[in-house]
Amino acid sequence: MADRPVARSAIAPAPPVAVRDGWEVSTRRASGALRLADRSPLAKVLVRADPDGPFADRIGVATGTARRTPANALAASARPGEWLLMGPPGSAGNLADDLGAPDDGELVTVLDVTHGRALMRLTGVRADGVLAKVCGVDLSDRAMPDGSAAGTSVARVATDIVRDDVAGVPSYLLHCERSSGQHLFASLLDAGREFGIDVDGYANS
Amino acid sequence: MFRIPCPYCGPRDATEFRHQGESRNRPDPRTVTRGQWRAYLYEKDNVAGWTRENWYHGVGCRRFISVERNTVTNETRPAAAAAGAVDPVLPGAEAGAPDADSTRR
Repeated sequence: MADRPVARSAIAPAPPVAVRDGWEVSTRRASGALRLADRSPLAKVLVRADPDGPFADRIGVATGTARRTPANALAASARPGEWLLMGPPGSAGNLADDLGAPDDGELVTVLDVTHGRALMRLTGVRADGVLAKVCGVDLSDRAMPDGSAAGTSVARVATDIVRDDVAGVPSYLLHCERSSGQHLFASLLDAGREFGIDVDGYANS
Repeated sequence: MFRIPCPYCGPRDATEFRHQGESRNRPDPRTVTRGQWRAYLYEKDNVAGWTRENWYHGVGCRRFISVERNTVTNETRPAAAAAGAVDPVLPGAEAGAPDADSTRR
């Protein structure tokens, strides 16, 4: 029973397919320098709180930025008063627990949206060129350096973009509603064809 | 197409926003007359030139914002640039103005 999936991403996995951490995922390895990978199995916790309140201070991530926590989770804020915490598969409970309880009287919402959202990672030196075809925000290093976040429209899908470079290579996490995930993934593959984009498989970061 | 300066997200394409109409002073619902409320809802200034508008940034910060837009050229600028500007006069909202709709109550 160990290889029986208990969850499937909104994005159809490219063959070969295997089960990792309970998710049916692709184990394909991209050969090109520009890679698009489904990261929906990552735990995703949505937090809403007063942007000027003590809970926001505790999270310590300003609007429009993202940073790694000591537990190697990624916390991003694409809009005032809202944060998305991303961590290894199955860690949603820990991510929520690590936040602690709010002060008396402060209204805070903490919600596990792992299965309600799609998450993908676009990596490569030409990744900004791919996004520029389907997105209107300024993706230059000056406007959107490593560790920045923005809520915008990508391929006409409401998407949060988090720049989270990997070993110095530009990389973007794209986060949208689950029902739009397959469309966004396909749109990025279509936009990246001229740059030689390739589908990459499962990884837990 | 034009860009709108969002105070939270920076300049963004207008397609990310939803137009909410002219930015006007809302009358006090406890004291407003029907005529004043109708004027607030429906009687827009519709100027040809600079006007202050509300927009909803639906795919960005999900906030309602105010910006100034030139309705002739579609130039935009932050509403903060108009700090101290007087809101458009609300037709029928002046003190002592007659309530045109009072006979239908």
